[in-house]
Order: sequence, then structure tokens, then C-alpha cells
Amino acid sequence: MILVVDTHSGIPVYRQLTEQIRFHVSSGLLSPGDEIPSTRSLSAKLGVNPMTISKAFALLEEEGVLERRPGLPSVVRQRQDDRLKATRIKQLEDALRPIATKAMQLGLDPEEAVSALRRLLETDER
Amino acid sequence: MKFVFEATGLTKRFEQTIALDQIDLKIRRQSIVGLLGRNGSGKTTLLRHLMGLYLPTEGQVSTLGKAADRLDHDELVQIGFVPQEIQLLDWMTVGQHLRYVSSFYPEWDRDRQKRLLNELELEPSAVVGALSSGNLQKLAIILAVCHHPQLLVLDEPVSDLDPIVRARLLEFLLELLREDQATILVSSHVLRDVEKIVDWVICLDRGRVITDTALDDLKERYAEWLITSHNGDLPSQFSETFVLEQDVSGREARLLVDHSQSAREDFGATHRVDIHCRPLNLEEMFPLLVKEPTA
Repeated sequence: MILVVDTHSGIPVYRQLTEQIRFHVSSGLLSPGDEIPSTRSLSAKLGVNPMTISKAFALLEEEGVLERRPGLPSVVRQRQDDRLKATRIKQLEDALRPIATKAMQLGLDPEEAVSALRRLLETDER
Repeated sequence: MKFVFEATGLTKRFEQTIALDQIDLKIRRQSIVGLLGRNGSGKTTLLRHLMGLYLPTEGQVSTLGKAADRLDHDELVQIGFVPQEIQLLDWMTVGQHLRYVSSFYPEWDRDRQKRLLNELELEPSAVVGALSSGNLQKLAIILAVCHHPQLLVLDEPVSDLDPIVRARLLEFLLELLREDQATILVSSHVLRDVEKIVDWVICLDRGRVITDTALDDLKERYAEWLITSHNGDLPSQFSETFVLEQDVSGREARLLVDHSQSAREDFGATHRVDIHCRPLNLEEMFPLLVKEPTA
């Protein structure tokens, strides 16, 4: 699992981490039961404060993405298929929000915008 | 002991000048705190109170649970200090100086010393008086950390270091936090470095504490909004108090804000605008932090 943080972006590092781990879980790169590196080792590897890593893990545990186990590495939790699907759609919507704004600013109607997205999806499939 | 330093109503006067003005502050154990402020804002004066080098004109301060005027051997051996103006013994070599200082500390960690000399690229045979300002800073840092301090105070520690050594030093500070459970207080103008490691920010302005907050909270609050109107021109000026700076031009505007999520939603609905929100980094928000209370 590759995690990348930009400490100079205004986005808090714990948010950058939760987003990436969530994405890795949704995309299937991380499967249920997979172990997540420890707070300590991630702090050393990414050069960020261990508190920040801990905060990200706590948030992901609260969301049911990770399971923290005392004295053992955290693992990815098993999730129901419908929950997983809903999370995937939510992540896509978040990514598309600025694109939707752009489409409105360009004066495109919804049909035109959706067909532009469809064209891109179909091009990438080939 | 939850806090390594506490100040209540701390005021420090030098004749007519008020250097610190009614400061209330608590510094949590095991955190890395960035102390920010413009020149002359009182940073160094505050740091000197931590070690009992200054005593308050009014108010109380305590370090590691002990009042500043009673700090003794037991507390002082737990503190490491890298001052801004480094004064060392010029005629010694780096190696001799390290041996000299280490003789005061039974717990001196020679492995750490050796590793840091190597990582920070400092030659033990060099004469202290002939060191460049950057190398002098490196020596002061090594002298301050090899006794495993519980509280490390760094006053502008990186200003003369090159980017490669700076990065290694930052990594080492994080290691101190992990390995020694140390508390680190660092004052610096190099905000890019501070931002990388700190979890808490204290900002001083004219001797007063104007910010005392988690870095993450600051990042969630301060942002640049690029605004586009849905219909027609925007008002020539926005009067919302969370708008700190604005540049309005026809249907578009660029605002700098200290906001909450709900403020953003309300603003979008009230003015019928799209908001593209870009969070600000520490360097970008710093001018807003030191300016805000007078605005």
C-alpha cells in the first residue's frame, strides 16, 4: 500500500490519509483482514507526527473501515456489499462535485455533461 | 503530569517595554508545538521563561510541574535547549566540546551522539570557533538532545541549515517524540518546516497569545474561496465577519476566510454562488493569524 502525504497542502494530513486508505479499501487494493502498518512505522516512513496517524486510524475505526486491536496491527474490516457500493458511489460523487460546478459554469446542460463523462469512460474501457 | 509548561497571567516587562502581556498557556506532554510570531513578538522571551532564565514580572509559570524560580537539577536535566544566539567555547574542538558537556550528564547517549554527528555531517575534529553558523547550529542541537530530554526547546533551530540537513533534523525530532516521548517546542520562521512536524500551534503577537490551537483545526478553518455567481454580479463587498480578505470582480470573487462547514453552506445559499474551497497552508494563513484581532 502506497500512501502519499503533502504536508504543505492546507488539507490536514489525517484527512489525506483517511481518504487514501478509504479509497484503497473501496477499490479492493486492501482486502478484509489485511494488516495496516503501525502508527510508529507510518510516522517514520511518511515523516509525520504519530498523533496525526493515530487520529486517522481512530476516524477509520469509527467509520468501520479498520479494526484496531490492542498490541496487534490494525486490520481492514469485512464490510457488507451494499455498504461498500454506497461508499464507492459517495467517493465518486465527491470527486465529481467540482466537475459538476465546472459544467454549470460552462453552460452545459446535464445531458451534455453526462455524455462527456460517458465518452471518457468508454474510451478508457478500450 | 499532563502539562510540561503552564503560565498564568504571565507578564514580563523590561523597563517601559511590555514583552509578554498576560499570557495564559498550557503545553501538553508529548506534543510538538510550533511557536510562531513576527520579529519582536515575544517568542524568545517566552522560551526563556520555560527554563527559568527569566522570571515573570507578574503571574506564575511552572515547568515540569515546578515553579520557575524553583527549577532545580532534577528538572533541568530533563530539558534540552537550543538558543537562537549560540555561545559555545570557541577554542575547543567539536569532539572536546561534546565530551565536556557530556560529563555533566551520567545518562549521555554516545550512540545517539555518534549517529547525529554522522547524519548532520559534523566533523568532531573541527574547531568550534571556526565553524560556519550552520555547523554551529548542528553542534548546539547535538548538545541539547543526547541526554534524552523530556522537554526540548528549539529557538530558530534550522535557519542556517541546508535543506538536506534540515529534513534529517525534522525526521530526528519526530523520532524523539516516538522514542523518548519527549515534548518539543520549536520557534521558527521557516513555516514549511514547522508545518511538517507540529501538531499544535501557538502564535504570539506583540506579547499576547493570539492563537493556541491544533494545526489540523487551523487548516480546516482557514481557506481561500473562489466564488462564482449563479446569476448576475456579486455585491461589491461581503460583510460576513468570517471573510478576512476579499477581491470581488463582477461575477467572480476571491475570498480568504476563517470559516466552518456550516458557514460555507449558508454563504452559498444566501448569495446563490458556487464556492470552490482551497484550504490554506501555514505559510499562507500566517499573515491572517497575526492580523485578525485588529480586523
